[in-house]
Amino acid sequence: MTTGLTRPDGPAKLTGTAHYAADADTSDALAAALVTTTVPNGRLTALHTADAEAAPGVVRVLTRADLPPLGELSTPPLGFPVPPLLEDTVHHEGEPIAVVLAETWEQARHAATLVRAEYADVTPAVPFGQAEDVVPHGGLVFGETDESKGDVTAGLAAADVSVTATYTTADRHHSPIEPHATLARWDGDQLVLHSSVQSVLFAQAALAALFGVPPENVRVFCPFVGGGFGCKGFVWPHIPLAAAAARVTGRPVKLVLTRAQMFTLAGHQPATRQTVSLGATSDGRLTALRHTSSNASAQLGDYCENTPHGSTWMYASPAIETSTRIQRLHRPGPTPMRSPHEGPGMFALESAMDELAHELGMDPVELRLRNEPEVDPLTGEPFSSRKLVECLREGARRFGWSERNPEIGSMRDGHELIGWGMAAATMDSPRSPSSARLRIDHTGHVVVETGMQEIGTGLPAMVQAVAAETLGCPPEDVAVRHGDSDFPPHTGTFGSMSTMGLGSAVRAAAESALEKLGAEPGDPLAGALAEAGLTELESEGRWSPEGGGMTRGRTGGYSIHTYGSIFVEVRVDPDLGLLRMSRAVGVYAGGRILNPLAARSQMIGGITWGYGQAVLEQSVFEPNLGRFLSKNLAGYIVPVNADIGEIDVSFVDDDDRVASAIGAKGIGELGAVGVSAAIANAVFHATGRRVRDLPIRIHHLLP
Amino acid sequence: MNTAVSTMEFLRPATLAEALETKAAHPEAVPLAGGTDLMVELNFDRRRPPALLDLTRITELAEWSEVDGHIRIGATVPYARIITELGSRLPGLAMAARTVGSPQIRNRGTLGGNLGSASPAGDGHPPLLAGHATVELASVRGSRRVPVDAFFLGPKRSVVEPDELVVAVRVPPATGPQQFAKVGPRNAMVIAVCAFALALHPENGTVGTGIGSAGPTPLRARDAEEFLAAELDWAGGRPLPEGVAERFGELVAAAARPIDDVRGTAAYRGHALAVLARRTLTWAWRDHTGRGSCG
Ligand SMILES: Cc1cc2nc3c(=O)[nH]c(=O)nc-3n(C[C@H](O)[C@H](O)[C@H](O)COP(=O)(O)OP(=O)(O)OC[C@H]3O[C@@H](n4cnc5c(N)ncnc54)[C@H](O)[C@@H]3O)c2cc1C
Repeated sequence: MTTGLTRPDGPAKLTGTAHYAADADTSDALAAALVTTTVPNGRLTALHTADAEAAPGVVRVLTRADLPPLGELSTPPLGFPVPPLLEDTVHHEGEPIAVVLAETWEQARHAATLVRAEYADVTPAVPFGQAEDVVPHGGLVFGETDESKGDVTAGLAAADVSVTATYTTADRHHSPIEPHATLARWDGDQLVLHSSVQSVLFAQAALAALFGVPPENVRVFCPFVGGGFGCKGFVWPHIPLAAAAARVTGRPVKLVLTRAQMFTLAGHQPATRQTVSLGATSDGRLTALRHTSSNASAQLGDYCENTPHGSTWMYASPAIETSTRIQRLHRPGPTPMRSPHEGPGMFALESAMDELAHELGMDPVELRLRNEPEVDPLTGEPFSSRKLVECLREGARRFGWSERNPEIGSMRDGHELIGWGMAAATMDSPRSPSSARLRIDHTGHVVVETGMQEIGTGLPAMVQAVAAETLGCPPEDVAVRHGDSDFPPHTGTFGSMSTMGLGSAVRAAAESALEKLGAEPGDPLAGALAEAGLTELESEGRWSPEGGGMTRGRTGGYSIHTYGSIFVEVRVDPDLGLLRMSRAVGVYAGGRILNPLAARSQMIGGITWGYGQAVLEQSVFEPNLGRFLSKNLAGYIVPVNADIGEIDVSFVDDDDRVASAIGAKGIGELGAVGVSAAIANAVFHATGRRVRDLPIRIHHLLP
Repeated sequence: MNTAVSTMEFLRPATLAEALETKAAHPEAVPLAGGTDLMVELNFDRRRPPALLDLTRITELAEWSEVDGHIRIGATVPYARIITELGSRLPGLAMAARTVGSPQIRNRGTLGGNLGSASPAGDGHPPLLAGHATVELASVRGSRRVPVDAFFLGPKRSVVEPDELVVAVRVPPATGPQQFAKVGPRNAMVIAVCAFALALHPENGTVGTGIGSAGPTPLRARDAEEFLAAELDWAGGRPLPEGVAERFGELVAAAARPIDDVRGTAAYRGHALAVLARRTLTWAWRDHTGRGSCG
């Protein structure tokens, strides 16, 4: 039985009263539409705006000359390094070159089609794989690009069995249902933004820096996000453009990206090519692990998908070597997408582990158990908590793995081949500061305020759970207000960090309230206030990892990560080359689980997301056009309900007080990791076909 | 509103007669039924017709009835009703209808719209071909019936004249097993890579077929139909003779005229059609012999 808190924001969402960015009152706002480049490179030599300016309803067409001066800013918080419209150089197809402002959205969109651009020096876009691999630099490189210990070459030479293979993953787009939307309104030098963002803090800081005003002059509202998955983490060009347009015209401006623009102006997970070499003794102990990677990146920003990262802490090996490179290409800027780095990376590592198990004639679960490290294999530091073995054993038990006949193609049902496959999962644990304000009124009612956005994961229920647990009051007595930059700051709802940071901050605020009252958890709060002679009590709580800023998983002398195991059953129709996942069992160790109901939903969503990576999702970059081919959800297909069989999710006991004050870690991205490898491994079990390129498509499976 | 760039008239006739008069007067007016094809085209700016002719107020088009032993399905009856109300009498069509889009699309989308679009990938077409349906067209000049296998002229082109509307389709109720199968990368919301419909007509010992998404138009596999009709032991219900399903599959694949496109290659389409044809035949014949000879 799964128990937990239902989300307090549920009724508002179901009845349509929850307000999203584009719902903000816009009676006096101008509608903005972006004009974007139609070529991938070269120079913009002329822009003809007269036809657009003459179109009905059009108030103004803004080009570079019309923009106020903008300050310099790095990535992140910017998603793409150059502030929009500022350069003649074309960096990618779909880059903004003008903004049309009109009385209605339809008028603006129509007029945007009337702006004509001229370009020079346009050349075919070099595809990924045909440019040079270079070392990436800058703020979009997460973690080290090169890591090593021991002698991998010697380890491979000494191995009884070794495997080396190259794996690829596809360009993928986040595709949240709610597109990016921003309403900007200036009042003197005060800016108010309603924007669909995964961090009101980043938006506030970025806009203040760009427009040269103090952060307190920028107020950002975003209580709800209709899905982000990473594409609303950083500040993408439309946000400053909406603010600039509002500044220039003196009217509020609302800018909603079209679905097609969501494919070029809000990031994507770039295609990767990875090579893994594993060496092992005949009893399955690793002697060497090498994982190298390259990803498609943009001309600017050097976004790096650090796919080998997880390979540095997963398995005990005397020699480990990783490196990650990028290719600078004329394509839109990539950005983290659920689940960055380990998502594509564990496809390669966990496929290679399956290949090694097959070569060794060893059960793939057993191979992983034999390589369980005592301490972080790269740094030698202790794990804050690591329950991978428990996840593997429990997953195998729940799935019925012992019934598996290891022979290829041995399981059949009618015209379908059945395969069972598994993989381990892991995510790094970045952590970041958060804060919350808590108020108790004379009736004992509690209000918590925080800058956090509810992005669909159930954070308000988590806040209720932590406040109620700490104060010893019913969760229904706690109301949560969120998504306003005037509330205490929360770094952002990305990187699976919110529960750790915000939960710990809420707990600190609640503890401080009890201390001020001299009360114990469970004391009736109304009575405690009356006793203290108070009608209202306010307290603030803050939490941050060691050092005070954002950290990655290896900090403070510990190796902090989350773990899991995923077991799947696939059905392959070999005559038609069709693949479906009929069953999945995921068992996770993600710290203390504060709200089992929401946690389970996260993992079901994650596994489904991983199925999409494995079988469906691929944005095709067309080199002749220099752009992504299908910029809509008919061409870019994601899983539907009818694709997904039974999913069994559970958690092993875990409580990590190193990771956070409340023992929690982040689980938002963990569920999507390992699924694609488990599916590919199951396909191999079903068919004997080793598919190393995602997504797995019909032609991979046909005779 | 002052949005008008090029204005689009919205015509809303209340009766069929009025609709036909309007269509005669405005042949450029584009009919609007469920809008699940048309609104997508408008949204993507693929066309900007000067006028839309809304058919949704016309109750005559929104009903089905029995006429001369046929089921006559009004052009604007949505898929959802075909599934719930006609599932047992037109099982092949209902099976195809169940694979269309999502519940929302099945609530809005219609057979009239499927025929109006005349896409080679329209899932309604193969079962209409296999079921020997006829399309009823009307204009102020009168009405006419066109066998569905003469309805399609090319990709997205049909015999409908500028002043005509699709009024209904007439399909004989099933007298034997019917099947529909579709290949796509996911289990819902999918444009067919290819599709196949089969209907056995034991009352006269004939076979109907329909191929979708594997040619410039939906197609019948006539050689396959004739071959199979002659091979089946209609009365005795003996099992399929060795090699018949395979040969039937080959003949179906041979009737297709597929191309390579983003959804699949021509070679795959031919291959997959042969598989679907064999499978649907096996299922249908099992149904037929399992419950003895019908009709
Ligand atoms: C998300 C989505 C999923 C879909 N999935 C499928 C699918 O799985 N299978 C499938 O086959 N289709 C699918 N479609 C396409 C569409 O739903 C079908 O083609 C549907 O049958 C169209 O019917 P409609 O009533 O909505 O037509 P409309 O969009 O109203 O009209 C379609 C065309 O037919 C014309 N037309 C409509 N009625 C008449 C009439 N009475 N006489 C003459 N012309 C007429 C219109 O002018 C227009 O050109 C999908 C569409 C969407 C948006």
